[in-house]
This record gives sequence, structure tokens and C-alpha cells, in this order.
Amino acid sequence: MTTTLNPTLNTQLPPSTHEFAEIIHRLEAGGSMLPDTPENLMQIIGIYKAYAVPMDFYWRDLLYIAERVFLNPLPAFKYFLPKEYLDLPNHYAGDDADLRIWRGEATAHPELMDFIKKGETNSRMPKLFHHLWHDRINMEFAEACMRAMLWHRRMVAPVNRFDAYLDTPEYSANADRAIRAYFQGNPVMLGLYKLFPEMFIEQVRQLSYYSNLGLFWEVMAPVFFEMSDLYDEGKFTTVPEAMDFLVNGIFAIAGRPIYHHAHIRGECYEIIPKSKGFMWLYEAALPYVEAVFYRTSPFRGTKSYNAQAKQIPLEQENFHYGILYADVFPVGTAGIPPTLLMQDMLHFLPPYLVEYYAKHCRGQDDTLIQLGISFQRSMYNVTSAVIQALRTALLYPLDDSNPDHLLTNRQFFESQLDRFKRPEARLRNIQHDDYR
Amino acid sequence: MPDIVDIAVGAGSFQTLVTAVQAAGLVETLKSPGPFTVFAPNDEAFAKLPPGTITTLVQNIPQLTRILTYHVVPGKLTQADLAQHESVISVEGSPIPIHTANGFEVKNATVVAADIEADNGIIHVLEKVILMG
Repeated sequence: MTTTLNPTLNTQLPPSTHEFAEIIHRLEAGGSMLPDTPENLMQIIGIYKAYAVPMDFYWRDLLYIAERVFLNPLPAFKYFLPKEYLDLPNHYAGDDADLRIWRGEATAHPELMDFIKKGETNSRMPKLFHHLWHDRINMEFAEACMRAMLWHRRMVAPVNRFDAYLDTPEYSANADRAIRAYFQGNPVMLGLYKLFPEMFIEQVRQLSYYSNLGLFWEVMAPVFFEMSDLYDEGKFTTVPEAMDFLVNGIFAIAGRPIYHHAHIRGECYEIIPKSKGFMWLYEAALPYVEAVFYRTSPFRGTKSYNAQAKQIPLEQENFHYGILYADVFPVGTAGIPPTLLMQDMLHFLPPYLVEYYAKHCRGQDDTLIQLGISFQRSMYNVTSAVIQALRTALLYPLDDSNPDHLLTNRQFFESQLDRFKRPEARLRNIQHDDYR
Repeated sequence: MPDIVDIAVGAGSFQTLVTAVQAAGLVETLKSPGPFTVFAPNDEAFAKLPPGTITTLVQNIPQLTRILTYHVVPGKLTQADLAQHESVISVEGSPIPIHTANGFEVKNATVVAADIEADNGIIHVLEKVILMG
């Protein structure tokens, strides 16, 4: 594991002839796809912090929807997180953590609590007005990510067992029990369920993905908070150090259970029990990266596509609308999920990033775009961590003495970077400081 | 002849594996007639995992069981038997690639001791914990 910390340049192989040879050599030396500069480090860590605060809301609300709102046909208040879920202890922060990643508290972050009270308008108007004015955390972004995972089902098969389980009779029987319990005494909904059972089961499948993503982000929020604290304490000085922290985090939490429980009238219905053995790494993290970083879907309203002219790939695996490919500028339109995230992050930027954005481009006028590009840089670093973690788990150490092993590593890195050959990929752009 | 568990306990270099097998409640299974082929990571292999990995797995037995059963294959397969296959299917259900052209490797782990015969199967010792995918 510690091998990624050791930047020994591999001299046993001839130089790569890949289009991104320089980046491949950097990965082989234990680096990241993102160049190691103090400016990059500052941008990505600042953004991790600004991301972690809304994420602390996202994971709590995703679990609230999966577990409590459940099949409410009119879920108008699903973004109104009750105190119980704001106080829900994060399993990876606080004194009673299963494994303490962040040294902070397990309950909702103080900056988040403050924002929920006052919003951007800094007024104590009733919650409903904050909500209608969109002066709130934009859960629509979190739901768009969840939906991307649902739309791109059957990813990472056969290792991802969670997804296949959703189509089993066992899952349908578990969902059926929960649906009947939830609509107990409601003849209209039970009648509809009898007429259209598969529609209800499909809705429960979607809720299982709410739970999946909620449990995934419950881990990532404390990881990002801790990275921000370590940076503030001067303990991170390079981009590879930040990447290695993520790699170690991925391994530490790999075995965290992924499940879906629904709490109905005081009883817990195990729609996907923990005993199925589904794991954070295989059933949540890898599908998340594939669905959200790489694929997602062409967001409506950003750009016109002509599907008949094959501007949209026929195969979902060839979708490439994720953050690693996004042109942040046209995405910056109201109501588009990535923009909603940028808006959420804007509220929690550390002072050094506010100052940094004010100095570049159009200053405050285009902070959203600038932070969107920092976010893109930061996600290239997270993707690098995933690539290095997969290499560590499935292949060989970077300083392996066997040249065949080094060649296998190289082929793996090259195949990963092949995905960034397409013109939309931003890998080329993030190599330069003036891309902002 | 001692069974798979007896050999692992007796060898002294599989303390983490034995603890994990006990925590997962797999002792009885690995003492049953089987037969099984066990790719057994030694203590050094577990020590290569970053801190926290084992803690999380021990807290979550079904997930620990999944990783452990990825190291077990039904039947008694010697190195020579394994050389006939490109991959074998683990009890966990995922395939384990076998490389014997240049040394003896199981997925990305080198076999440091092969063909340790037990009453109910066979053990091949690995220097790395193998993971699905």
C-alpha cells in the first residue's frame, strides 16, 4: 500500500508511446493525473472541503428518503431533514466511530447547520420559503447522481452483486413486505400496487440506490473534512499525498456494508440485508465512479443533441457526460444538476479559495465556473486514487522487481487513460494552470 | 492427517487468517470433509493491507466472509491441476486467474509455498491477500 507514496521512477520499461505517456509515467511514479503543483493542491483541497459540507446533507437526506419517506406518493417535504437525521452519527467521525476518519464531530457539520438556519439570504424566514426560493442545499444534484447509478445499472458486473440482487425474487419478496406494510390501511395505493406491482418494485429499486449512494457519501464526507484539516495543519504538501490519503481511505472502508433498510411504523424492513455481504468498494464506490464521473447522461438544457444523427452513443457504456468530460461553462445554467452542486459548494468555500477566485478571470462574477473547474481537477485526483487503488488491489506494486508485472501495470494505466482520448475529455486541459 | 485448519493453526504464520476464519465462523466448514483448495495469505500478506481494512472487515462478518471465501475453491487442486486452468471459480463466485507459465501466481499474488496437503484439501500459501475484480 505504501508503495504509492514512493515516487520511484520505473526505469525497467522503455518509455510509453501512449498519447498521454507523460501522465502514464507520472502514475507509474506514484503520482496523480493532476500535476503536482501547490496551486492544484490548494484548489482540490479547498473544493473537497466545500463539497463535504453539502455532502454531509446529501448522505443524510438520501438515507432519510430511502428509509423513511420511502414510497410517499407526494414527497413534498423529502428535503426537510428532521433533527433525527441531522444528528445521525456518521460511522466514520466522532468519538464512537466504527473507524474514525475525521477527527471532528459525528453529527451534521456546524457550517451546514448554520446554513440550514439562515440560507444564503441570511434571513430567518420559515423553512418553506427558503425551500421555494431555492435558498437551500440542492438535493436535486444528489438525486441526479443516484439516478445516474440507476440508469447505468449492470455496471461493474459480475463483481457488483448489489445490482443483480435487485432483480431476484428474494429482493421482490423483501420489497413486497415493505410496500404492504407502508400502505397498510390505504386501499387506493394497495389497489394500485395490485394493478401495477412492477412499477412499485421499480420505485423501491430506486430507493435502494438512494440508500447505496447515501452510504457511499457517508464515508466520503469525513474523508474530505479530514483532508481539509490536514492541509490546514500543513500535513499535506503535495498532490500525491492527497491522492494517497484517498487510496488508503478506499482500502480502509472497502468492507463497509451496503444495504437498504426501510423503517415503517417503528419496524425495520430489511429490503437489502447487511448479511448479503455487499461492500462499499464493489457495490457502491466503483459503480459510483463509473456512473457519475464517466457516464451520467446528457443534461437537458445544456446543449442540443441529435440522437438520430448518433450524437448520443448507442451503448450506455460509451456515455461520456460525467465531470471528467464536462465543459463547465455551458453547464452553468440554472437548474442543471452540476450547477446546483457548484451553487452548493459556493456557500462553503474556504477563504483562501474565495480570494483565489477573486483574483482570476471575472472574479466574483464567474466564481461558479472557476470552482467548477477546480472541482473537475479535484475529481481527476479522486479518479487517480481509484486507478491507483485498483492497481494496488488487483495488480502489482509500482516498485515490483518483475518486469512482466510492471508491464501489466503499464497496460492497465494505458487502458484507463484510453478513456480520456476522446476530444471532450478534460485531462489535457487540467495539465495547464491557465485552464480555469 | 491434520485438516486445513489444524495446519494453519500449527504453522504459526497464519495468525491473522486463523483469527479472521474464526471471526467469520468458517472453522467448522474448513474442518468438514470438503475437499477444498485454500489460497492462504500469510501474516505478512495481511500486514500489507492499509490500517483500517481488517478493522472494517472484522466489524462486518458477511463482508469478511465474502473476502475469505474468495480464497477458497471447491475440490483438491494441486499446482499441477491448477496449471491446466486459466482461472478457477471461488466459493465466493468470482473467478481467480491462475498463472503458471512463469512461476506460480494466483491472480496478482505469488505462491510462496504450494501443495501443502491436508486431510480435507490442499493449501497454497500467498504473499498477498487477493481481491475480487
